[in-house]
This record gives sequence, C-alpha cells and structure tokens, in this order.
Amino acid sequence: MKGRGAVTLEKTLAYGVLVALALAVLFPFYWMIITSFKNEDQMRSVVSMFWPKPFAVENYRQLLAKTEFAAWYGNSVFVAVSSTLLATAVGTIGAYALARLKFRGRGFMASATLITYLVPPSILFIPLYKQMQGLGMANSLSGLIAAYPSFTVPFVTWLLMGYFESIPEELEEAAMIDGATRFGAFYRVVLPLSAPGVLAAGLYAFTQAWNEFLYALVFITDGRLRTLPVGLASFITGDVYGWGYLMSGAVLTTLPVIAAYIYLQKYMVDGLTAGGVKG
Amino acid sequence: MAVPAAQVEAKVALRGRRSDGLRGVLGPDYRMGYLFVTPIALLVLSLVAYPFTYAIYLSMTHKLVGLPPIFVGFENYIRLTWDGFFQRAVVNSFIFTFGSVVFKLVLGVVMALVLTSPIRWRSFWTGVLLIPWVAPTVVSALNFLWIFDGSLGVLNYLLVRVFHILPQGVGWLSEPGTAMASVVAVNVWRGFPFFGISFLAGMKAIPGELYEAAAVDGASTLQRFRHVTLPGLKNIMIIVVLLSTIWTFNDFQIVYILTKGGPGGTTMVMPVLTYETAFGAQRLGEAIAVALYLLPALAVTIMVLARYMRQGRRR
Repeated sequence: MKGRGAVTLEKTLAYGVLVALALAVLFPFYWMIITSFKNEDQMRSVVSMFWPKPFAVENYRQLLAKTEFAAWYGNSVFVAVSSTLLATAVGTIGAYALARLKFRGRGFMASATLITYLVPPSILFIPLYKQMQGLGMANSLSGLIAAYPSFTVPFVTWLLMGYFESIPEELEEAAMIDGATRFGAFYRVVLPLSAPGVLAAGLYAFTQAWNEFLYALVFITDGRLRTLPVGLASFITGDVYGWGYLMSGAVLTTLPVIAAYIYLQKYMVDGLTAGGVKG
Repeated sequence: MAVPAAQVEAKVALRGRRSDGLRGVLGPDYRMGYLFVTPIALLVLSLVAYPFTYAIYLSMTHKLVGLPPIFVGFENYIRLTWDGFFQRAVVNSFIFTFGSVVFKLVLGVVMALVLTSPIRWRSFWTGVLLIPWVAPTVVSALNFLWIFDGSLGVLNYLLVRVFHILPQGVGWLSEPGTAMASVVAVNVWRGFPFFGISFLAGMKAIPGELYEAAAVDGASTLQRFRHVTLPGLKNIMIIVVLLSTIWTFNDFQIVYILTKGGPGGTTMVMPVLTYETAFGAQRLGEAIAVALYLLPALAVTIMVLARYMRQGRRR
C-alpha cells in the first residue's frame, strides 16, 4: 500500500512532466499564431517579442490578396474531399468483406492491404509520377486524387476491419434469419451501427490527404495547382520578412485539421489504436 | 474458441441454403466478397504493385528525363555502393532513424505513464499532447524552421537574451554540429505522441488485478513498472517501434523543409537524396536505386510487422 506522501509525490511529478510536455508541444503553435499577427516593423526590430502590440492583420490581407494562397486552399479542399470520399467508400466495403465475409483469398487480400499500408511513399513516388505522366495526369489535381488512395484506402480498410470485427456477428445472423439478404444485413444493420467508425476513418483519411506533401510536390509543376503544404513550403525564400505571411498561411492550413481533431478526439485512443495497432 | 454444436449447425444451415458448387470452392459469401474487395484489389495493383515492379525495373536502367531507359542490370546499385555521398546518406539515415525512435520510445512511455497516473482533466491533457501528431507535418516543420532561425529565431532569443544560457546565437540548422540533432528533435516532437497514445491504450488493457497482486506482494512502483507494465506492453512496443522505424527511415518532409540535406550533406538522408537525384540531377534510374537499396531490410521489417499486427488483431 502506498503512503499519502508517495501519492502526493507521484502526482506532483506527473503534473510537472505534463506541464513540461504540454509547453513543448504547444509552444511552436503559440509562436506560429503570434508571428502571424506581427507586422514587419515588429519583426525587424525584435520588439513585442512574445505578444504582438498591436495585433496586425496585414499578413493575412497580404496572403489573400498578393499570393495564390486562396487558390491553393481550394485545391487542397477539392483534393482532400474527393480522395476521402473515394477512400471511405472503397475502404468501407472492402473492410466489411475482409472482416466478415467468407470467401477464398480473403486472408491473402487482408495481408496485401496491410502490407500496402506499410509500403512507404518514398519508394513509390517516382514510378507513380511516371505512371501519372503516362496517363496525362501528372500536372493536375486529378493525378493527386488518383494517387492518394494508395495510402488512404489501406489505412481506412485496416481501421474499419477492426471496427467491423467488434460488431457481434449474431446481429447479422438474426437479420438474415428474418429474411434479409447478406447485402441487406450489411446495409441495414452493420452500416448504421458503424456510422461513427466510418466517419472517424473518413476524417482520418481527410487529414492524411490534407497534410500530404511528397506526391503533391513531385506531381504538380504549375504554381496555381499546388496544394497548401507545397504552397506554404514555396514561401521559404530566405527573406526573413516572408515569415509573417508564411505563418498566417500556416495558421489557416492547420485550422481544418484541428477542427476535425476536436471532433475525433474521443475516438482517438479507442479508434486509432484499435484499428491501427492493438496488442 | 469453443462454439456449441447446435450453433455451428445453425450457421451451416444458414450459409448452405442454396449451396452450389462454386460456393463450395470459393466460400459461402464469394459473390459479395469479390464484389466488395475488387476496388481495393484494383487500387493495390495499380497504385502499389505495378509502380513497385516498375520501380525495380527503372532502378536497373540509365534513365535520363526525356530519353528512353537503357537496361544496365545492377550497375546503379554497384556504383552507389562505392559512392561516398550515398554511403554517408545511409549512415545519416540510420542515425536519424535510431536517434529519433529511441527518444520517441522514452518520451512515449513517459507520456503514457503520466496520463495513467491519478491526474485531473486526463482527456484534456491527452488531447493537448496529441496535437503534434495530427497537425500538418509541413506546418510543424515550417514552425521549427522559423524557431531555429539563426538571426531572428526565438530559440536563440530565449537562450541568449532571456535566459543568458548562451553567449551568442547558434545557427541550429546551418551548422554541421547541430543540424542533425535539430532535425531529430523535430521528428521526435512530431512522433512521440503516437508512441504515447499507443502505450496508453496498451496499458489500459493490462488487467488491474495484476497490479493489485504485485502490490500485495510488496512490489515497489518501479518493480510494478518493470514486471507488470513492461511485459504487458511488449507486443505493442514491438509494433510501434517497427512502424515508427519504417516511417522515420522514409520521412521526407521534415528534413527536406528544415535543411534539404545540408549543411554540406550532414543531414542528407536517403529519401531526400532520392528526390534530389531524381529531380535535381535528373537521373531517375539511380534515384530509384537509392530508394530501393535497402529494400531487403524493409521487406523483412514489413513482414515481421504485418505478422505482429495481424496477431494483435486476432486476440
């Protein structure tokens, strides 16, 4: 049994570590946000270092008026939403088949999907680029929409396989005894029950597509067709005064992901880990 | 798993309602099964299997952009083996990967331990600590590029002007002595929450009775960690470490944005070298040979990892 002193010590230690980790985690975002509200003078003369006085919005104005940021935003939304819808649809039915249906080759397909999830993009990006070039899709958003399922689909499938396996098989059997077809049991019983899981998997796929950098960097050569991560990185010019609008762009790029994350947080521990790695 | 005989019979009766020959060979749900996995199969074939095979072929050619490839066998690989710059990139990749994974492992265990200790607002703290894992990596890398900036970066400002720890600023990313440590730090910052959250889930699955029994036996906190927590986390640790090793070894964006492999090649890792060889030097065959050079090791890692992940699922 632990004494009261030991418990207090343990708690103090835990809070100390938590605060230190939280500071390390949050500081770069704090710094991103306040930098985005500093004007050129404040940056150059190193005044109002930790809190902008006054809050300047000129970085945001300049970002939207003078750069192609708005176009990139549209590109990112289009690419991420399209590839998410595709990945969620394909992944959901695939995961159901691999988790529940009995047919020859199922184990092989499940392994193939998992291995695909583990093959890193750094060995696929050049051949995929050549492939897209051959199809005339290299310098276009449709090329990205076509390529992103290479990582979103295996991920969604693997995640949802775990989810479907956790739904009691008896529910479907009961529906089928009542006359439902195999498809009916899936469509009317399993799918409604899995809606939260499917939504969570879709949001994960969305953030993955939203954050993707390598394929977008390699495939897209036209400046206006860039997605946000590549567009933001193109702002690195070596000129210190570019940091203001770069950081304002970084803030706007992070917002949708954080919004998705706030919704997802309750699934994070159970969903991500149950689907991704469960040991 | 023991299933009552009556239940098995019921299942068989259900499945075998319209039993025909194909069902016997291909399984009871073969129609819907094949229909549902066809899209995945097509994607895996066209987006992974085909490009992968094509990559192996291209790595055995001299391919200059705009010209047809010339088959040269293993020449690219042999040449790379004796290329000093490539050798250095391999060494750098290992330093980057193992340096990052070790720190992520330690911080991940620490994170899981503090989040399972008796604290208030547990889900709030969990949510905060997970942010680096969900935020766009490019954004994080750009944030650190700005924080590490040699002249106006806030890290130097804090260390020199606020805390007076250093007499003058350091070019964290532009000096050979600090560049590798800096990119490792950013990779650790981004990746440790995944370790932490996975271990947290693993620790929740360890039965409380084990801890109670250990406490009754008079085990100290440290002993309980050593003899209950660690063995309970063994499988998940293996999975997370292997997964992170693959991801870190192939991480492109952090190094590309922070240093592009510089200064003087001190942070040049294999994925960045692949990119530079392909799109800077325009030598595609050689670039893919760089990417595939360690394929046997990668393949073994993936096979072992996939086995562990599937086992984890079955339990």
